[in-house]
Amino acid sequence: MKTVLVRPERCLGCLQCRLACAAEHSRSKDLLGALLEEVKPKPRLKIYPGRQHWAFPNKCRHCDPAPCQAVCIAGAITKDPLRGTTDIDPARCINCAMCAMACPFGALTYAATFQAPERHAVALKCDQCPDREAAGRLPACVEACKVGALTYGEVEELQEEKGRVIAQAVFAAFQVAAETAPRLPETISRWRILA
Amino acid sequence: MRYVIIGASAAGLTAAETIRKWDPEGRIAVISDEPLLPYSRPLLTYLLGKEIRPEQIFLKSGQYFEQWRLEAFLGKAVTRVDPEARTVHLADGQTLPYDRLLIASGAEPRLPGIPGEDLDGVFTLRHLADLQRLEAGLVPGGSVAVVGAGAVGLKVAEALVHRGIKVHLFEREAQPLTQVLDPVAAQLLQDAIKRRGIRLYLHSWPEAVLGKKGKVEALALNNNRVLPVQAVLFSVGVQARTGFLASAGLADPGGIRVDHFMQTSYPDIYAAGDCTKPPHLITGEPRAFHIWPAAVAQGEVAGANMAGARRRYEGLLPQNSISLKDIKIITGGHLKPDPPDGEVFCELDRHRGHYRRLVLQNGRLVGVTLIGPRAAEAGIYFQLIARKVPVKDLPTDIRAADFHPGKLWA
Repeated sequence: MKTVLVRPERCLGCLQCRLACAAEHSRSKDLLGALLEEVKPKPRLKIYPGRQHWAFPNKCRHCDPAPCQAVCIAGAITKDPLRGTTDIDPARCINCAMCAMACPFGALTYAATFQAPERHAVALKCDQCPDREAAGRLPACVEACKVGALTYGEVEELQEEKGRVIAQAVFAAFQVAAETAPRLPETISRWRILA
Repeated sequence: MRYVIIGASAAGLTAAETIRKWDPEGRIAVISDEPLLPYSRPLLTYLLGKEIRPEQIFLKSGQYFEQWRLEAFLGKAVTRVDPEARTVHLADGQTLPYDRLLIASGAEPRLPGIPGEDLDGVFTLRHLADLQRLEAGLVPGGSVAVVGAGAVGLKVAEALVHRGIKVHLFEREAQPLTQVLDPVAAQLLQDAIKRRGIRLYLHSWPEAVLGKKGKVEALALNNNRVLPVQAVLFSVGVQARTGFLASAGLADPGGIRVDHFMQTSYPDIYAAGDCTKPPHLITGEPRAFHIWPAAVAQGEVAGANMAGARRRYEGLLPQNSISLKDIKIITGGHLKPDPPDGEVFCELDRHRGHYRRLVLQNGRLVGVTLIGPRAAEAGIYFQLIARKVPVKDLPTDIRAADFHPGKLWA
């Protein structure tokens, strides 16, 4: 199962992912076309100011089991067994905001979409670009990200990669500490241990 | 193992699915007095407002019961439960034996108990049949009184206005949603109600429903006024449906007593959903609070425990989402009144319709009200309440004006 992995430490807050996401979720799937559409598309991921980092990209994690699915009173939220995504059907969504109360990450946005023109707002969130996946392309936000803050791949591989990056960073830090620490004669270090 | 579940809505069906996941072999019987496939009660007001198509009210497909291998007893009322003989008795004379029983019978609308409630044209809204009766009684361009400006009353009023019907909304208290909203939030809601074209009467209640030839004609109000209406809809709260338990001695007036494992005083009888009086997440006091997410969570815990697991229900976190066309209000945690030793932090941007109100007690978040686009972040605050995290241990100050949820993580 593939997923988008977020690396907040790399994000610079340029918001290009939001632009690409909005364009992808428009009728024309094109930035210029989207600007002319009656219903302006909304991006499905949010970039907040972070505490340590420039910015913090926040998007749906496609939880399993998904708390939003459990509380949906309209039966609009389903899990895709093949893609592993948590999907909202805009034709069934009633904009009741039960999912906002359940989502521990605040990943939802409520706005209009061309997919449900008769509704003034529905719950919107990341759908991991199904049309792009079918065509073998990267999700729009990942394609737009220039700094590697959004990466796409198999869940296990991404986790492994992330673990390796952290391990290397820790190892490098130790190396630096070892190099800068003054070298003491063997006897003195023994003496220190005894003291 | 023979499982019997009374009730086929949020709690009952979640429990049935959970049992099936834990116990692939057991026999699960689901009883409901509704003859139809399971449907979503909260959607009734949306169906009334024609926001959804009639078939969208059904939550499960026609093959649902076969798919999950559940024995469905639809359109069957339960008359009695015998905890000693471990049997459930149905109105048609059938008797179902059980090893584990779940009571998820839900709640029924209350009526205020005033003269004229039996007239033709007096409604409540809880079942699909209620909606069909109400639809038949609506006159285009007519006027309807909705009594009780709670979550259901507000949605019904909005739906009726949308259908071109004149709505008079009555509230006994000084504001709508008096149990959950502070005066500032209530004022924002009242503005939205006005914008929707609903006439709201505060400090007002009907003292009698007046009729002619068995049909509603008017309401006699507390201020000696008489208001002519074609129909009256009462939305003044619900009460647990526990009549069939009278001989079993399980139910208090407010609902069925349950512990943290959704177990009743009989070890093989569990209860979940609107019919129960579960412990409050913050105070631990048993208290009935009728919300869908709690029914789902309780159904899951009860189902797992019935199948032999040991899952604990930490308690009910009261929460409400009021979503009218141009306002979104989410509240959670402590209901009014605020705790006497509580600290309150408010942020109001009237121009942008943004409001954030936090209530802290003993250094922990215990209540939150959000209005506007940032209501979408409610789940984050609810996590903080549910986990009882001291706010000083958070990486950022949630009370600060520049608070952003991103600062909690990175």
